[in-house]
Amino acid sequence: MLGAFRASHVNQGGLLWKTPWKLSTTRKANARARLKKVDAVIEAVRASGVQCGSLERALELPKEHEMPAKDKYTVFTPHTVGYRKGIHKVPKWTRITQRTNPKGF
Amino acid sequence: MTACLCRPALSLRLTNLRLISTPPSGVEHDPADNTHYKITLRRSAISLGDQKKGTLAALGLHRRNQTVFHLHTPDIAGKIIALKELLEVQNVPARDVRTKREQRVERRAPKGYEIVGSRMGYGGFELLSP
Repeated sequence: MLGAFRASHVNQGGLLWKTPWKLSTTRKANARARLKKVDAVIEAVRASGVQCGSLERALELPKEHEMPAKDKYTVFTPHTVGYRKGIHKVPKWTRITQRTNPKGF
Repeated sequence: MTACLCRPALSLRLTNLRLISTPPSGVEHDPADNTHYKITLRRSAISLGDQKKGTLAALGLHRRNQTVFHLHTPDIAGKIIALKELLEVQNVPARDVRTKREQRVERRAPKGYEIVGSRMGYGGFELLSP
């Protein structure tokens, strides 16, 4: 299996970029920073004194410091043993809010 | 405080006056003065769908790091909440509201010199004029 013509993912038309199974420490820190920024936006709108339905729903979300690590870095999935997968497998995960789990999970 | 102890009746009034007249130090402005949201687009809405792109356009945001000001109203608050992952929001008083042109003037770097005068007059326009 050595030499220039050995089989590999790339030259067999496979994926070159692989997604790691879990987030690194740095990516987790970045994720936490993003969660805090979203919290700051919700807090700013709350501080403005305006009342609307979407704000009430947003205030029901857990804040970054209230969330367990499980919810910050993984999400529910029905397809795997243990019902969890890394949150970085979710498309556009840095720009969507995914903080709560389905009932019972 | 010592004055307070010596002449309680007068000094109490004086301290009250002082409390009224002097603004609280350390705080830039009273949060109750805030009338506007200062909204800055930090993350783009590319591939987040037409709904979110349309909401951004409704807020008047067309490019990243662009800042717009909107009044505190429920419809604007709802739009901000819908785009909360993309925006940075501050509450500001009306005197801090800036138009696009004013923001650009404020961003401009100082030239480092000041024109105090010219022997030719202002740009030599006197020579051209009859």
